[in-house]
Amino acid sequence: MLLCDPAHNKMHSDEEQDTHVLVIGSGGAGVRAAIEASGYGETLLVSKTLAGKGGCTTMAEGGYNAVLREQDSCEIHFEDTMNGGAWLNDPALVRILVDESPKRMDDLLRWGAVFDVTDCCEVAQRPFGGQRFPRTCYAGDRTGHEMISTLIDRLHSTDVRVENEITIISLLKDEDGVSGAAGLDRQGDLRIIHADSTVLATGGGTKIFDISTNSSSGTGDGYALGFYAGAELIDMEQIQFHPTGAVYPYDARGRLVTEAVRGEGGLLRNVLNERFMERYDPQRMELSTRDVVARAIATEIVEGRGTVNGGVFLDVTHLPRSQIETRLPVMLEQFLKFGVDIRDEPMEVAPTAHHIMGGLRITEWGETTVPGLFACGEVAGGVHGANRLGGNALADTQVFGRRAGEAAGKAPTRGRKTDHRGIEGLHEKLEAYGLGDVDPTTVIRSLQTAMWEGAGIFRNARDLERTLAIIDHLSTLKMKAPARENLAACCIAENMLATARLVVRGALLRKESRGAHVRRDISQAWDGRTSPYGHTYQSLQREGIEVRS
Amino acid sequence: MKELTVRIYRYNPGSDDRPHYQHYQVRANDGARVLHVLQAIHDETDSSLSFRYCCGSGQCGSCAVRVNGQAVLACMEEARDGMTVEPLELPVIKDLVVDMEPYLEAIASLVPSGEFRMPSHEEVEIMKPLRSCIECLACVSVCPALKVTTFAGPTVMREDMRLALDPRDHEDRVTASVADGLFACTSCQACWKICPKEIQIPGKAIEKLRALANRKGLTLPRHQEVAKLIRESGRSVTRIEPTFLEQVPDVIEPDGGVKATVGFFTGCMYNNRLPRAALDAMEVLKRNGIRVIIPKEQVCCGSPLIRTGQTDFLDTLKSRNINSYTFRNIDLVMTMCAGCGSTLKHDYTTPFRVMDVNEVLTHFGIEPPAPLAIKATYHDPCHLLRGQGIRDLPRELITKVVDLVEMPAVCCGSGGGVKSGIPAEADALGELRRAEIEKTGAEVVITSCPFCEYHISAHTDRPVKNICTIILEGYAEKDRREKPPA
Repeated sequence: MLLCDPAHNKMHSDEEQDTHVLVIGSGGAGVRAAIEASGYGETLLVSKTLAGKGGCTTMAEGGYNAVLREQDSCEIHFEDTMNGGAWLNDPALVRILVDESPKRMDDLLRWGAVFDVTDCCEVAQRPFGGQRFPRTCYAGDRTGHEMISTLIDRLHSTDVRVENEITIISLLKDEDGVSGAAGLDRQGDLRIIHADSTVLATGGGTKIFDISTNSSSGTGDGYALGFYAGAELIDMEQIQFHPTGAVYPYDARGRLVTEAVRGEGGLLRNVLNERFMERYDPQRMELSTRDVVARAIATEIVEGRGTVNGGVFLDVTHLPRSQIETRLPVMLEQFLKFGVDIRDEPMEVAPTAHHIMGGLRITEWGETTVPGLFACGEVAGGVHGANRLGGNALADTQVFGRRAGEAAGKAPTRGRKTDHRGIEGLHEKLEAYGLGDVDPTTVIRSLQTAMWEGAGIFRNARDLERTLAIIDHLSTLKMKAPARENLAACCIAENMLATARLVVRGALLRKESRGAHVRRDISQAWDGRTSPYGHTYQSLQREGIEVRS
Repeated sequence: MKELTVRIYRYNPGSDDRPHYQHYQVRANDGARVLHVLQAIHDETDSSLSFRYCCGSGQCGSCAVRVNGQAVLACMEEARDGMTVEPLELPVIKDLVVDMEPYLEAIASLVPSGEFRMPSHEEVEIMKPLRSCIECLACVSVCPALKVTTFAGPTVMREDMRLALDPRDHEDRVTASVADGLFACTSCQACWKICPKEIQIPGKAIEKLRALANRKGLTLPRHQEVAKLIRESGRSVTRIEPTFLEQVPDVIEPDGGVKATVGFFTGCMYNNRLPRAALDAMEVLKRNGIRVIIPKEQVCCGSPLIRTGQTDFLDTLKSRNINSYTFRNIDLVMTMCAGCGSTLKHDYTTPFRVMDVNEVLTHFGIEPPAPLAIKATYHDPCHLLRGQGIRDLPRELITKVVDLVEMPAVCCGSGGGVKSGIPAEADALGELRRAEIEKTGAEVVITSCPFCEYHISAHTDRPVKNICTIILEGYAEKDRREKPPA
């Protein structure tokens, strides 16, 4: 069906529906939010993919941090998280994360999650980077998959309605704030959802980089949706580059090689067979924080001590074969598929864009700066500061997913007020794609290369400005959708451009190196704890960086 | 970079009368997966091509498709020149996108019981393999039972079993699984052989659920009768003529020198129903230097009991069988029945080696038979192909005698207790075989399992012959040609 079909674009033909709570996103945070919200009223969960299959939760391998043992404490978890985050984290959010993570683990266990357990029927835990206690709970190396299986299972036991394969392209507004959302279904038809409260749980967006661990849904839609709805975002420059992504085959580059590999005792070596972490963090070695390990690997490669495929070696061949088979089965299986038996030969790895620490500014209850709009999970900012600890993201999805779901559920009902202007604007935008001339894939590829080159692990003002100019240029191109079913791809490409701009603007605003954000053109006399700066912030109204008093 | 030509299934039910195939030429990087080729086509040539994917690393189960007929994850399967990519055999939404939702919704959810008890380490270890399912539905798409009867499918059974094992679940999963079609599974093993996570659904879920159903008294009456027969007679089927064991000596010496000695495990079907085929096999072995020892006290291997979850009598059968060979110092046991062979190889711990007759004949080599001007097709017995991984050996033997025309390897319906328990399903699957056999235009159907031979015979007008019988016919022809005319 061709796009320029005036009859089809009439507003009254759009399918409309109402709900009390609308949750956008079906990863760990979204499903957890929907489960909680359903206790307060009608809840609709909308997913760009089949629910549970999209997002990064199902791909998360390593684990879930929770204080479960006498010898550990929430205070230590708090400090580890703040230290890991270079003290850019919002302390109140971190406090909630560490206090409530064990309770949310309890929920998962009650709902049937099959985590590894010790001989004493306690959830087993392993060491992860940057933490002083082995507090990372796991289900082999498919922890996120176990969680999402459990959550989807639980979701089916609630009254939540699930609509699969709908791409939300805009939030709708009335004078009181966000009043729902508009999306495109598989055929490209517009769907209007009116909601008393809307929860953004859209996950991350490191697909804006050429090399990324994210699934196809990691396109940053939530940052763009929130920004254009007027919400404020913080610390968008803070991108976590996971130290260990696969380098082969080329088309699967960036695929996550879990931190659990190092947690289980995996060693990093360069092509000279040196355990190079001795030069970067002799104390913590391979289990240093991700920002440190990623920079170490990147430096080794840049300085010519990498492999021919452009990586370094990650080696588990000294571990018992049974340990690899039981604790790292997914890694074993994936590498075998690509011709490497990790029991006998080392893996080759290099840094890959993984997680956006920044995001929508939220309160302790997941409220954004716009009434009616909530955010949780990776799309929200402030919990992880300038560098996220491995194992804290899965915990974050559950703790803040539940909070956002509860708050959204408790929000008052309000009458439906159709955002006629917003919807009309959408129709115009969609119609324009019918007349465009540039394939969205071309735009995305240019963006990904520019971001990797100019806004990657090591940054400076000149490269960032240049990257911004590329984003600006790409934004002027008129993208085309040859058929209605291609409309969503154009909208997603726009979202990627918007997210990338937020990242680069944030990187320019933060004139210091902090955690994962490294400005090589700036020298500074402070560390994370003593930095004069707080969050960077950006919204339609203002942008800047907070200065600590 | 390399150039590939691929053939892709295209169908838009909204606008196309029927599906068609489209060829694409595409450039791909070294090591590119099927998914990357689909992406390249979509991005560079044809943006109307629809396919589903998400994680790109084999963890979400969104992208399963059929490549050259085999269900695979597009993101993990290496792309090859000339490949054909089709959707899973499920209702098509568009092109390679199938409707997964009804199947995903059918998977049961845990209902928390009032009292919470954390599963033990042992319980977790049993549940874990059942939990690695990524719900890609490859198993559902290849399940033959699903195509002909009401059956919730392999992955529903998998989760039913996991819930039955979980102390946190409150519901009666065993009774539910019976309602979901527990006894419809033919044990064909197609589901776990296609599973990207290699979850052994038939052995680790279905047979275990059937054993739990047995404890609840839910075993099908016909299956109970079989168990009773085994208990009383040592055999799972009744005799209709003199049995194989009654017709043969304890030892059959070969015609020439002895190349090898095997102990023969006859199995109930060859002993009681199809002794002719087993006698033919003895002739072939005799002619090829294989000395055969035949312990007369051997009994049923227990496969019908394992497949139907009636395992209490199993250990008795196992020790009687094992002892009958160890007593005679036999270190190599030959099976002829695919089901017995698979059972001896997987469900027994034997002090001797077990080889199927196809392995024995190809391993020790046979005198070439005369080729016959016959066009034949071969039916792969499930317990030989998937149960024992034997695909090429029978073909090697068959093509010495006849012209082979292939047909798809699909279960005939006789396994897993379905023929006795749900005969209508077995017949429906048998009829599907009839159609495939007719498509080949073959005059003869060859197979290498008594259950398949017996069952398919009722669903085709062509003669169904054992592989040994056809070899023996080749020898007869050879002898006829070599013998001077009278």
